[in-house]
Amino acid sequence: MATRAFQRLPTAPAGRILALRLVAIIVSLFIIAGVLALAGHSPLMLAQLIVRSTLGSRFGLEDLALFMCPLLLTGAAVTVCGTIGLWNIGAEGQFYAGAIAATGVALGLHGPASVLLPLMTIAGIVGGMAWIAVPTLARAYAGVNEIITTLLLNFIASLLTYYLTTGPWRDRISGAQVSTQRLPVSIPEMWGIVHWGFPVAIVIVIGLALVLSHTRWGYEIRIGGANPEAARYAGIPVQLRIISVMLLSGGLAGLAGMFEVAGTVHRLQGGMANNFGYLGIVVAVLARGSCLNVIPAALLMALILDSGIVMQTQQLSASVILAITGLILFMIAIGDELAHYRPVAKVAAEGKLS
Amino acid sequence: MITLLTGMLATAVLAGGVLALAALGEVLAERVGVTNLGVEGLMALGAVTAVITVFSVHSPWVGLLAAIMVGALGGMVFAFGAVVMRANQVLCGLATTFMGLGLSTALGHNYAGQPVDAIFGHVNIPLLSAIPVIGPALFGQNILIVPIYVLLPLLVHFVMFRTRHGLNMRAVGENPAAADAAGIPVMAMRFWYVTLGGAFAGMAGGYLTLTYVPVWSEGMVAGRGWIALALVIFAGYRPVIVTLSALLFGLVTALSFVGQAHNWPIDPAFLNMLPYLGTMAFIIVPVVVWHRMRRIMAAPAALAQPYYRDVR
Repeated sequence: MATRAFQRLPTAPAGRILALRLVAIIVSLFIIAGVLALAGHSPLMLAQLIVRSTLGSRFGLEDLALFMCPLLLTGAAVTVCGTIGLWNIGAEGQFYAGAIAATGVALGLHGPASVLLPLMTIAGIVGGMAWIAVPTLARAYAGVNEIITTLLLNFIASLLTYYLTTGPWRDRISGAQVSTQRLPVSIPEMWGIVHWGFPVAIVIVIGLALVLSHTRWGYEIRIGGANPEAARYAGIPVQLRIISVMLLSGGLAGLAGMFEVAGTVHRLQGGMANNFGYLGIVVAVLARGSCLNVIPAALLMALILDSGIVMQTQQLSASVILAITGLILFMIAIGDELAHYRPVAKVAAEGKLS
Repeated sequence: MITLLTGMLATAVLAGGVLALAALGEVLAERVGVTNLGVEGLMALGAVTAVITVFSVHSPWVGLLAAIMVGALGGMVFAFGAVVMRANQVLCGLATTFMGLGLSTALGHNYAGQPVDAIFGHVNIPLLSAIPVIGPALFGQNILIVPIYVLLPLLVHFVMFRTRHGLNMRAVGENPAAADAAGIPVMAMRFWYVTLGGAFAGMAGGYLTLTYVPVWSEGMVAGRGWIALALVIFAGYRPVIVTLSALLFGLVTALSFVGQAHNWPIDPAFLNMLPYLGTMAFIIVPVVVWHRMRRIMAAPAALAQPYYRDVR
C-alpha cells in the first residue's frame, strides 16, 4: 500500500516557513474571530475598522511608526543574543533601566538639547548594559541560565521605576501619578508625532545585520551559537563573545527605553515599557535570527499593537492583545516546526520489494 | 519576639505554598524533559478561574478544583505544541504565558478588586498546632498547607525515586531514545506529566486567590511563576528540596511584609524587590561558590530537547 510519509529536514526552507507562518496567522485570526463572535462582537466589522484606522489613516500610520521604534530595538536585542544561542528575556528591564538613566541625565543636568540628547543616549545605552551585567557575568563564567536571571531583573526594574516616579523624581508640578515631570528636552520630530528615533532604529538594525554577517566578530558569534564546543576548539574566546553580545543586547534595549522616554512619552512613567521588552522576543522569533527580518517582524507586531488600540475603543480589554499575541506566537512556533517536514511518497510496503 | 517569629513563619508558609505547588509541578515536567515556561500564565488562569468560580458557587473546594482543571487544560495546550508537535519549548512556553496572562485579565475584568467571599479558613490540627512557634504556622493554617508541604512532595518523591514508574519517568528526561528502546512510551509520558504540571500550576493560582490574596487583580501573580521556575533549578529538580526552598522563599517574602508592617526606613518598593533579588542570589551564588553543585544539581540531560522517533 502506497502511503505518504514525512521526512524531517534539519533546516527548513525559507519558502515553506513563510507559507506555514501565513497559515499559522490565518488560523490564529480565525480562532480570534470565532472567540470575538462568541463574545458578541462582529469580527468583520472590527476587521474593517482596524484596517481603516491603522493603515488607512495618518494617525494610524504615525502610531505604527511609534510602536515600531522600540520594537525594532528590543527585537534586535533579543535577536543578537539569539545568534550566540542565548535568550535575553529581560529586554523589558533593560528598557526601563535605559529610560531611568536617560531621565536621570535629563533631570539632573542642564544644557542645550544638542548636549543633553547625546548624553541621554549614552546614559540609556549604559543603563541597559548595566542592567544585563550580572546575568551576563553569571552566564559567561558560571553557566547560570540567563532566561531566569534576565527575567527576574524585569520585576526589579519595574519596581525601581515605580519607586522613582512616586518618590524622589515624582512630578511636583502637575501632580501626575507614577510619573516624573515632562523632560526639558525631546528628540526632534520628523513626521507628525514620529520622532527621529524611528529612522535611527532602522539604520541600527540594518547596521547590525551587516556587522553580524560581514565581520569576524559576527562570524565568531554565529559559530559560537551554532556549536560552542567547535568554537572553543577553534580558539574563539566564547566567554568574551558571550559578554560582548549580551552587553550589546542590553545596550540596544536600553536605547529603546531612551528613545521612548525622550521621543514618545516625554517623561518617565510607571508601566511605560508597555511589554515592548517581551514583545521584542516575539519580534526576534518572527525574525528567526536575522536582523534584517526584524524590520518586517516589528512591523507586524506594531500592526497588532495598533489594532489593539482600535479594539480598546470597542470595549475590548487591552489585555486581549497579549492573548492574541500569545496565540499567534504559539501557532507560528508550531508552523515553524512543521516547515521542517517534507512529504515523501513511499513506493510500496517492504514485503513487495526486492 | 516569639509572636513576631510565629507571624513571620506563618506568612512564610502561606506565601511559600504558591511557589511550592507551581515548582513541584514544574519538577514533574522538567524531569520528563520538558521546560514549561508557561507556568506564570497558567497560574494567572488558575487564580482567575478560582475567583470566578467561587463568585458563583461560594465554595473554595469547587474553586480550587476548577483552577486545577483549567491549569491541566492549559498544560495540555502547551503540551500539544511542545510535545505532540515538537515545536520550540521556549516559544510555546512564552506563548502560553502570554495567552494565560491576557486571557486571565480579560476574563477577570469584571471581578477585579472584589474580595472573594468564600476562602479556605484556618483549621487547627490538635496537638501539633500546640507546638510553640512552628505549630501555629504549619498546623494552624488553612487545610491545604499539610498537603502542599508534606503529602504532595513526599508522594512525588516516592513515585519518582522509589518506583519502577519513576525510574521510567526519569529515563525519559535523561535519554528518551534509550527509554523508547526499552518500551517506555516517551511521548505519552511527556504529555501527561506536562499536563499534570499544568494542573499543579493552576492549583497554585487557585491557592493564591483562595487563601493568600483573596481578590483578583491584574498582574497579581507578579512573577511567582518565574520564581518557581528558578527554584526548580536551584533545588536540582528534586521534589522535597524544591518544597523546602519554596518555604525559604516564603520567608524572604515574609521579611518584606514584616518590614512594611514595622515601618522599617526602607521604601516598600525595595522590600518588594527582595523575592526577586533573593531568587537571583539563590541561583547564582551556589553555582559560583560551590562548583561541585553544578554536577550534582544538573538538569535532566534531555531537558528542552524534543524527541524525534519517527524521523523517516
